Amino acid sequence: MMWLIYICLAVAAPDLLDPKSAAHNSKPRLSFSAKPVVLNTPEDECDTRTTVMRWKTVSAIFFLVVLYLIIGATVFKALEQPHESSQKLAILVEKLDFLAMHSCVNSSELEDLVKQVVSAVRAGVNPSGNSSNQTSLWDLSSSFFFAGTVITTIGFGNISPHTEGGRIFCIIYALLGIPLFGFLLAGVGDQLGTIFGKGIARVEKMIVKWQVSQTKIRVISTLLFILFGCLIFVALPAVIFKHIEGWSTLESIYFVVITLTTIGFGDFVAGEKGGTEGLEYLDYYKPVVWFWILVGLAYFAAVLSMIGDWFRVISKKTKEEVGEFRAHAAEWTANVSAEFKETRRRLSVDIYDKFQRAASMKRKLSSELGVNASMNQEMTPGKRTLSANLCENRDSYPNLTLSLSPVSGALTRNGSLYLNGLSPDYADRREIAIIENLK
Amino acid sequence: MHSAGRSWLLLTGFVLFYVIYLLFGALVFSSIERPVEDKLRHDMETLKQEFLNLSCVNPASLERFLVQVLAANKYGVSVLRNSSATSNWDLASSMFFANTLVTTVGYGHTTPLSDTGKAFSIVYALLGVPFTMLVLTACVQRLMYPLVLAPVGLLQRSGMEPRSATAVHFLLLLLMVVLCFLLAPAAIFSLLEVSWSFLDGVYFCFISLCTIGLGDFVPGTQPGQQYRPLYQVSVMVYLFVGLMMMFLLLHTFHKMADLHGLTTFLQLPHCEETDEDREPIVDNKLEEESSYPSDKAASKPLEPGSQPSYNTINKG
Repeated sequence: MMWLIYICLAVAAPDLLDPKSAAHNSKPRLSFSAKPVVLNTPEDECDTRTTVMRWKTVSAIFFLVVLYLIIGATVFKALEQPHESSQKLAILVEKLDFLAMHSCVNSSELEDLVKQVVSAVRAGVNPSGNSSNQTSLWDLSSSFFFAGTVITTIGFGNISPHTEGGRIFCIIYALLGIPLFGFLLAGVGDQLGTIFGKGIARVEKMIVKWQVSQTKIRVISTLLFILFGCLIFVALPAVIFKHIEGWSTLESIYFVVITLTTIGFGDFVAGEKGGTEGLEYLDYYKPVVWFWILVGLAYFAAVLSMIGDWFRVISKKTKEEVGEFRAHAAEWTANVSAEFKETRRRLSVDIYDKFQRAASMKRKLSSELGVNASMNQEMTPGKRTLSANLCENRDSYPNLTLSLSPVSGALTRNGSLYLNGLSPDYADRREIAIIENLK
Repeated sequence: MHSAGRSWLLLTGFVLFYVIYLLFGALVFSSIERPVEDKLRHDMETLKQEFLNLSCVNPASLERFLVQVLAANKYGVSVLRNSSATSNWDLASSMFFANTLVTTVGYGHTTPLSDTGKAFSIVYALLGVPFTMLVLTACVQRLMYPLVLAPVGLLQRSGMEPRSATAVHFLLLLLMVVLCFLLAPAAIFSLLEVSWSFLDGVYFCFISLCTIGLGDFVPGTQPGQQYRPLYQVSVMVYLFVGLMMMFLLLHTFHKMADLHGLTTFLQLPHCEETDEDREPIVDNKLEEESSYPSDKAASKPLEPGSQPSYNTINKG
């Protein structure tokens, strides 16, 4: 079945796999999503990001499958084990009764017989009943049926080849037959889809008059597809099997589902009770069953691939949403960091300005102070005479800020007093005052 | 329309060929197996007669007993002495069963007995099969790059032309898969299982990996099996990985057929590329396409309605 679904997917989901063709489809596909445009997720993101996501998706799905298996295992165990124990008990009781009733048989002889009988039954030979009116399991029609089960990969297993030659032939036969059947199935499914699509188009024309939205139409058409298909391929055959084979309702539905998903356990097989219980089948029963399997398989493949589509769309949507969320988060982060940078910049400019001002003021102060300091420290002869003269008058002139440091060179050179940070006017005034004093 | 008429013709051709193939298979199986079956039936008759002669059992009660034993055996409940300890529904076996259900192999050596079990199997299968299919396709897509596209690119860079490169690579991949997933496990199974020959092992591996699952050979069901849970879990893992490799092989073959123009010739579905498969092989495919203008023009996936595909569902 996996092969068949693969082929059907390759046929049925090109617009999922290839966004370009989705854009060219006039109507959206028979699927959950009404907007195929949704599927055109622009995969322009850098490669590393998509590959990272895909690994994560795959491993997430893988863990989900394992979890699903474990859940199934526990449920099956809970449901079946009690039943199995009671069956074991019953058959053991039978055996003991039998041995007790027939005292000439000992346990080991009986076990031998049972072993041989069981292996014979596995080979398809039923030792119970007369051998005269038993039909062979390998007459032409049954062999045809067996070949069919091999090719469709259902593989009931109530008949299986026991000779080496038969097994080798079975392998080669399956190798060639399964792809052949796969292509056939794709073709039949396509025709089925066309027929259904025409019907849906007509129904849609009617519904459009009621002005229902596109999404609803899609959903309705999908539901109709599933409903009609179930009716024709599941419910009807189940009723037929129930009457002809004598199974219960649940057993018939169970047989239909197990067969059409190609699982094919083989505990219930249509048309195989003829030999043992004398049921007479009409001649065309088996070919009809085979034909039903073919068309029903196409229907099931369509349904299962549709379910797979939904999973894919949901996962793409989730990926989209996650992608959107990521984009939003990235945007937000970018904004915040930009703001932060801006604030930092402003702050730093502020601080720098203030720092500059403070530095300049400090320089002013230091330059003023520096005059006093240098007067006491660096005494050149000229300076000494001047300072000596000035020192006499120091008390009376405490706010002398004339700096007689090397800047005094500038005095003579420039002809004007330009002290650090001091405005020239100030310097001039001072200069005038000093010169007046000196005089 | 020419293409529609051609597709109908091809479809009927396929159906006819399929029916002939089935008939041929039926004839061969019948001629091989029927004599063996007759002999076995004869043996059983003599066995029954001997048993009845030696003992005081009358045929009727033996029949009744046998019918009950066989009915129980059909569900995997055995009446033999040393099988009372192991259950068919402990956790590992149930998981094995769930796995056969979900991969659609369906051996049938154990089947649900209770009605609730049957109903649950139906629901479980309907959900689990597409799920597994999704997982397998996702895994195969991931594996495509390292196992297919990279080696083919390597071959192409070393001077081979694209078509022969893909063919050579496909053959190598086929050989590797057959060796690792058919022959080696078969040898291991023939060692671990008492009554299996090497051919039985190959037969089992093939039947399981194709998901046919006849159920005549199932590993781990012998009564005296040691480490049964571990054994069954490892068989499950082998099945899953083997299925993945088969899928990969099929995908590679499909691509190769595309490249060689087989799919167009037979009007079969093309191997559609996903975004992440945009690797050199696709570019070369486009180059190749230019050499088949008439065919390719009719089969470009961008033109709806020209190809028989599920897209026709929408067109009505």
